[in-house]
Amino acid sequence: MTRARVAAAGAAVVLTTAALLLGSAFRGSSAAAPLPPAGSADRLQAGFSLGDTAALVVSLQHELESRPDDAHAWDLLGLAYQQRAREVADPSYYAKSEGALRRALWLAPNDLVATSGLASLALSRHRFREALSLARQAHALSPTTAQTYGLLGDAELELGRYRRAFADFDRLAGLKPSLAAYSRVSYARELLGRPGEAIATMQQALDAATGEAEPTAWTRVQLGKLYWSTGRLGAAAPQYRAALTVFPGYVHALDALAQVEGARGRLAHAIALERRAVAETPLPQFVGYLGDLYAAAGRPGLARRQYALVDVIGRLFVANGVKTDLETALFRTDHGIRLRQTLDLARLARNERPSIDGDDVLAWTLERNGRCGEALRYSKLSLRLGTKDALKLFHRGMIERCLGHTAEGNRFLRRALALNPHFSLLWAPTARRALR
Amino acid sequence: MRKAPLALGLVAGIAALAAVILLRAPSPRAGNASSHREAPLISEDPTADNTDLYAFRSPDSPEFLTVISNLIPAEDPAAGPNYYRFSQGARYLISLDRNGDGKADVTYAFRFKTADGPLFLGNTVLSYSLTRTIGHSSRVIARGMTPPDNIGPRTLKQFYGTSDYRALAAQRVTALNGGGRVFAGQRDDAFFADIGAIFDLVAIRKGFDNGGKDFFAGYAVHTLALQIPISQIDTKSHVVGVWTSTERKAAYVRKHKLRRGWVQVSRLGNPLVNEVVIPTKLKDRWNRLTPATDSRFSTYYENPILAAVINQLYGVGAPEHNRDDLVQVLLTGVPGLNNTGTTRADELRINLAIPPKPRGTENRLGVLGNDLAGFPNGRRLTDDVIDIAERAVAGALKGNNVPLGDGVNADDKATLPVFPFEPDPESGADNTKGR
Repeated sequence: MTRARVAAAGAAVVLTTAALLLGSAFRGSSAAAPLPPAGSADRLQAGFSLGDTAALVVSLQHELESRPDDAHAWDLLGLAYQQRAREVADPSYYAKSEGALRRALWLAPNDLVATSGLASLALSRHRFREALSLARQAHALSPTTAQTYGLLGDAELELGRYRRAFADFDRLAGLKPSLAAYSRVSYARELLGRPGEAIATMQQALDAATGEAEPTAWTRVQLGKLYWSTGRLGAAAPQYRAALTVFPGYVHALDALAQVEGARGRLAHAIALERRAVAETPLPQFVGYLGDLYAAAGRPGLARRQYALVDVIGRLFVANGVKTDLETALFRTDHGIRLRQTLDLARLARNERPSIDGDDVLAWTLERNGRCGEALRYSKLSLRLGTKDALKLFHRGMIERCLGHTAEGNRFLRRALALNPHFSLLWAPTARRALR
Repeated sequence: MRKAPLALGLVAGIAALAAVILLRAPSPRAGNASSHREAPLISEDPTADNTDLYAFRSPDSPEFLTVISNLIPAEDPAAGPNYYRFSQGARYLISLDRNGDGKADVTYAFRFKTADGPLFLGNTVLSYSLTRTIGHSSRVIARGMTPPDNIGPRTLKQFYGTSDYRALAAQRVTALNGGGRVFAGQRDDAFFADIGAIFDLVAIRKGFDNGGKDFFAGYAVHTLALQIPISQIDTKSHVVGVWTSTERKAAYVRKHKLRRGWVQVSRLGNPLVNEVVIPTKLKDRWNRLTPATDSRFSTYYENPILAAVINQLYGVGAPEHNRDDLVQVLLTGVPGLNNTGTTRADELRINLAIPPKPRGTENRLGVLGNDLAGFPNGRRLTDDVIDIAERAVAGALKGNNVPLGDGVNADDKATLPVFPFEPDPESGADNTKGR
């Protein structure tokens, strides 16, 4: 037993550990959460009765003041910071998480939790090459831990290494079928253009999430989005509402419902829903969509204000080590902002993230810059898996038309609209107009 | 895997539970773009999580072996509208080893189903089938229904015509074809431990006798309970090994390869082994295997990390290496009590020839308290496995008697005198959890 391990057995740490542990075990009772009182048992109880990450961060920090050499406490603090980042969309927690996990790794080299934690952090920051390298290290430390294959596959997917990603998802699912495995297999099937199978697997994921509020809400939103992507608004909306029933105020369900309302032309409802999502968690894509809704509702001033906010939030993410190039490039291209510079950004982003999404964004940015020959090359790449993604098909249609291939272009536009007539608030009308 | 005492394993546990936290947060990560959809990586899977296994002869029906397997730890009775139920995509198994080779000779498999639409959240009544497999021959020996979860007296009255939860549950006890009984549904978690105090150092202390706080009070679990006629399973040695496991259906991206349909994701024989003995990086592996191959984990039983930890903390002189005593208790059975030979297999072994103690006279420390009808000869609901584990690891079986304990000596609720023995779950309306 090493010194670090013995230190980890310290009461204080164990105490907070248990609190964290129980915090995740004893979920769903956050309503009447008391503030953590001074007594240790009570602190524990508070910890698990509310899953109060903020309080746990504070107590871990406190414990680490007296035991700065405790690698496992640093592990936990690093993970707690990541949890905070997710809860409140404040990316400054990423930098803090990295600091804590690096410290843990320095104290206890080859620590599986710290290594996986850093891989997970890199994924959150869209630093996929770094994530892949860390996930490989975690894999070397424990080749039989299922979760590691999820980390590997997630990184590979975003780097366009689909064969490997799918192989790793299959390993994950073969080692330990679970919500984590089913939802990834479902995503892979969606990417491969097999939406029916994707839905079936997401339903397995939903069953595996039984009794867990947040996972159930997440899975229902994913299931709804699968219906949405094939134009089945009527099947999507009940999933989103069910997500809100098990997890009131769940922002991703609010955002998804706003899109349904937007697609149905009920802009006032959509705006109200999206505003609730933004007020709770100002993610750039929520704010951007709110801007689009305002624009569609004939409120250009309000729309511009949201778009400006997207930029500010984006810079905040960048300042905390999150790579947002691809998202920023798509947002600017879609909104006609600084198209020339955006092309450079899109090339950079695609280089770092040579996935079908990287290909698609670069293709679309090239098209908007009038470079349709080059755009076609990337658009073909973006559709190489056979993904039934209306937006990518629309981009292809516009590129073909730009090259004078009107009939071919229209064929793609019709495919996009047939798949999902509401695929984009911004662009579905453009596709329809072009076909007129 | 029971979560709370996970931390009892201190070091061993910490990493595991950190992983739990790491993998939790299923919402797409902040700052993500719609193009990078992040799926959850939670390692927890409560509906497949075997938390406790009990095997005993009860004084009211000594001709049966009673086996209770619990799942879904820490159900909060007031968690509505997000109710708990068994997973329909899982297969729940209870296995019996009759010849000590670590392989299943008789297996009981539960599968659950609901007829309702997927969006009706409130319905927790599932139908199930119970299939018994002996060798290559399988047959359905019972079909039953779970009671609803104990949502609250008004709901029960309105939908099920009675607010008497015990009666409702008793109605759902089903006879097995060929003798015996089965029950599946929500029950109070009979496990008890002062997790708060355990981690507060002062509480695992010599002579700490009572006054702890049961952190599991008021929380429920989902229970699979069987009563099997001993006449059907008895052996020459009278010792039977029991374990429980959960399997999920595999799903793969690539279609072309021939693959297994079911994959084991959780198993449980002796209490606390998953939490305290098996290291984090091997937990997934351990959970996939059957007891027959447990010898490969011998070193973790022989050199338990918990012994080193409690020595560091309390200096109680727990032997840290060559723990053949723990190997016997957990892997081979104790000679003269419930030994099954030399094959190392983590099973809950019970000698069916040892008669049960009358109700109320059981010693919570089981064999350590000179009560041969308790753990590690099977495990009763009232056996205090936290105290037993602490004392055993400190070396009780090697003559190093240190009266360690967590100060919680019994569950907050009395067990029922009849099958399925575990107390009624608290209703969502009462909700006194953690007190």
